[in-house]
Amino acid sequence: MIKNSFDPVRVSENDRPYAYAVCSCIRAQAGRVFALLGHFGSYKGILYAPEKEISAISGNKELAADIKSIGSKDPLKEYETLVNKRIRLILHGDDDYPGKLLTIPDPPPALFVKGRMPDKETMSVAVIGARECSEYGAHIARALGEALGREKINLISGMARGIDGISQEAALTAGGYSAGILGCGVDICYPSGNRKLYEALIEKGALISTYAPGTEARSILFPPRNRIVSGMADAVVVIEARQRSGTLITVDMALEQGRDVYAVPGRITDRTSDGCNGLLGQGAQVFLSPEIFIREITEHRLGVSNARTAKRRRKFEGSEEALPNLSPEAMHIYSLLDHSPRSVEDIAAMAGREYTVSTVRLLLMQIVINGYAGQISPGVYIKV
Amino acid sequence: MYSKITTGALIGIHAIPVTVEADIAAGLPAFSMVGSPGSEVRESRDRVWAALKNVGLPMPASHITINLSPADVRKEGTSYDLPIAISILQAMELLTPEETKDKLFVGELGLSGEIKPVRGVLPIVQSAREYGIKECVVPLENAPEGSVVPDVVTRGASDIMSLYNYLKGEHGVSLPVFHTDTDKLLSESKDRVTFDFSEVSGQEDAKRAALISAAGFHSLLLTGPPGAGKTMISKRIPGIMPGMSIDECLEVTAVHSVAGMLPPGKALITSRTFQNPHHTLSKAAMMGGGSKPHPGAVSLAHRSVLFLDELPEFQRDIIDSLRQPLEEHRINIQRAAYSAEYPADFLLVCAMNPCPCGYYPDRNKCTCTEPMIRKYRGKVSGPILDRIDLCVQLNAVKISDIKQSRTGSGIGSLELRKKVERARKMQEERYKGTGIRFNSDLNSSETEKYCRLGEPESEFMSDIYEKLSLSARAYHRIIRVSRTIADLDGCAEISIPHLAEAASYRPSDDYWRR
Repeated sequence: MIKNSFDPVRVSENDRPYAYAVCSCIRAQAGRVFALLGHFGSYKGILYAPEKEISAISGNKELAADIKSIGSKDPLKEYETLVNKRIRLILHGDDDYPGKLLTIPDPPPALFVKGRMPDKETMSVAVIGARECSEYGAHIARALGEALGREKINLISGMARGIDGISQEAALTAGGYSAGILGCGVDICYPSGNRKLYEALIEKGALISTYAPGTEARSILFPPRNRIVSGMADAVVVIEARQRSGTLITVDMALEQGRDVYAVPGRITDRTSDGCNGLLGQGAQVFLSPEIFIREITEHRLGVSNARTAKRRRKFEGSEEALPNLSPEAMHIYSLLDHSPRSVEDIAAMAGREYTVSTVRLLLMQIVINGYAGQISPGVYIKV
Repeated sequence: MYSKITTGALIGIHAIPVTVEADIAAGLPAFSMVGSPGSEVRESRDRVWAALKNVGLPMPASHITINLSPADVRKEGTSYDLPIAISILQAMELLTPEETKDKLFVGELGLSGEIKPVRGVLPIVQSAREYGIKECVVPLENAPEGSVVPDVVTRGASDIMSLYNYLKGEHGVSLPVFHTDTDKLLSESKDRVTFDFSEVSGQEDAKRAALISAAGFHSLLLTGPPGAGKTMISKRIPGIMPGMSIDECLEVTAVHSVAGMLPPGKALITSRTFQNPHHTLSKAAMMGGGSKPHPGAVSLAHRSVLFLDELPEFQRDIIDSLRQPLEEHRINIQRAAYSAEYPADFLLVCAMNPCPCGYYPDRNKCTCTEPMIRKYRGKVSGPILDRIDLCVQLNAVKISDIKQSRTGSGIGSLELRKKVERARKMQEERYKGTGIRFNSDLNSSETEKYCRLGEPESEFMSDIYEKLSLSARAYHRIIRVSRTIADLDGCAEISIPHLAEAASYRPSDDYWRR
């Protein structure tokens, strides 16, 4: 029998090494572990129980075999290495165990943590989105990460390339807290390109995984971790997603867990926004700007009715954007820039006949020097 | 029974006279050849033997010795067949020394006695002139290229029998003398453009970069999606470079002649060529060399454009070895058997897709992952990127652009060439007597000397230096490009707009970070 929610059971200090051993098994899901725990009384009991019995109670033969093979090692010694690696083991029932995870179906029996756990009283927002994001998505991720960091709202994400990493980096830079939920052991930096972020998260935030240290990243491990990302948050923001993407799987889990889902609208011609626009069509909350979003979730938490939010949203008059201080010609070119990349050729064509490409390049350079635009590849510019 | 005949041996794109000596002595029939003959030269024994027999002048069954002198120069190629045959005929006393005096012979023989074209006739005829030879007898197909050399009579021979009759002074037998009016050839090609820029629709940005590139000899990198016209634009760059001087034409023709790449019957290459080697080429094909000395793509692109399409696909060490010719404008090839030097003063133009699929940064079409894109860009050798002055992104062509080109707008190549010529003129005057030819030739200290910036300009540059996080090398590169842009504008001083435009052609170093 697998139940949907579980009462937290405090695990004694002596039993923790054995809990580590059992929870190291990838197949050690909540239902199975809690059924075993109910039957044998302690993790030590599980570890040294006969394989057949484990198999019968958990309903999973492979798990039984895994537990048996791990039981052949010395659990106390293994636990000592874990402690030496400065990796914390947080068990279901511990004080540090995130309260929000207790409410989700199938809560992880154990979390492995490097860094410090998010403050329980502070609000948390999950930011998810495409790895192969557009410049527009990257821009929004940066802006949202910054805003959350400034407002001291925890940012939960997956430390992946693209939206995840960009938003987390921005939050940390703005002085905020962020937790990266990994699909591998917390001692492994995946993707390796995010090494700097990985180290920053250990220092200023946390790396959290349900998988034991040393577990290599594998594609099948990622969907289960996504439920932790949404599970640890009060609200989920989807910044960019293609149709049929992994991000949308996370959204399904968030809805199952009863989290508010916000989607960032995109242009209907952008394939990278298809997922988000589709979510909006299905009734997801609309993300209008980082400021409005933060106000809405704060009010929601304080119990302001949804009706009032909806009413205010109808009156939405667009986000204010500070106009840069540039010459009239440069302003004209600036007005042709966008958060999606444009080439000099495009900009020159839109600018009109009196602007030659060399003039356009000159003006673009002025805008770049003033910090209002960036060159992302040779001759391709975006608004900053 | 001893004879002496003059011919030439190639060393790089130059030649030295070689004397072919033949001796016929009594003894067991034999045919020996000395004087560092290469394998092809050794084979000539059989060709000469059969050719002379088949035209009815059979060699005697005696001990025949051929010596090629100077003996310490290695002789390669098939051009020794004809001089060997003539020297044997003279040793057989069928020809007198007077009949071959002051004449030079080159050519390959067929077994029937016909004379076939060979490589390197132009440099051989040039050296003949230097050494005071009055008349050169060359294969008929090669006669036009030989005829561009003044003060030497170039005759084309098609077979050994008619050559023999001509040398004997038979009544009514003459070999055609070729003349080429090089001035006329040059002026004819002056206003001719094979590929015109007016055929390129849109892409004004890339055209502008091509103009700057041609004006200051700045290397250029075009990126853009497949079908955007990267190759099309590159092909048109030779057409906007200034017309070639006679010396340049002779150099380029000589390289092609030595490589055996001169089209048959062509006297002189008068327009800039376009070398477009495939990325699978070997290092020897690019740089020159091989088991026998042979100019590579870098030399064939001499005074013109070397276009490397799909730059990341080229082998890295091949691209890296472009550094020497880019800096020294020539290539030295050292092998155990020989060493050779070829000219290699080319304008480097490269093209590449921005990512494996080609559509980045258009994320609607491109689904390449960030590591894939980085890896793809990372394949391009850093030292070469350091030497690229201009970088532009081409757009996918829009239907409106195609329509526009049909109605025939857009600036033409001849007009662009005039602008380039004006800018080159300014460079010529500025660098008179210094050995510097183009703005791109300046080193960093010369850049400081010839591209002095005013107060506001140098302030602007320090601004850019910080904002774009430039390296010192990039800093000077921007100033050199801005010098060319100022030259195109006819300005004596570099001003901020020139610097800004020049800086915009450099992607931030971040872009290439691996």
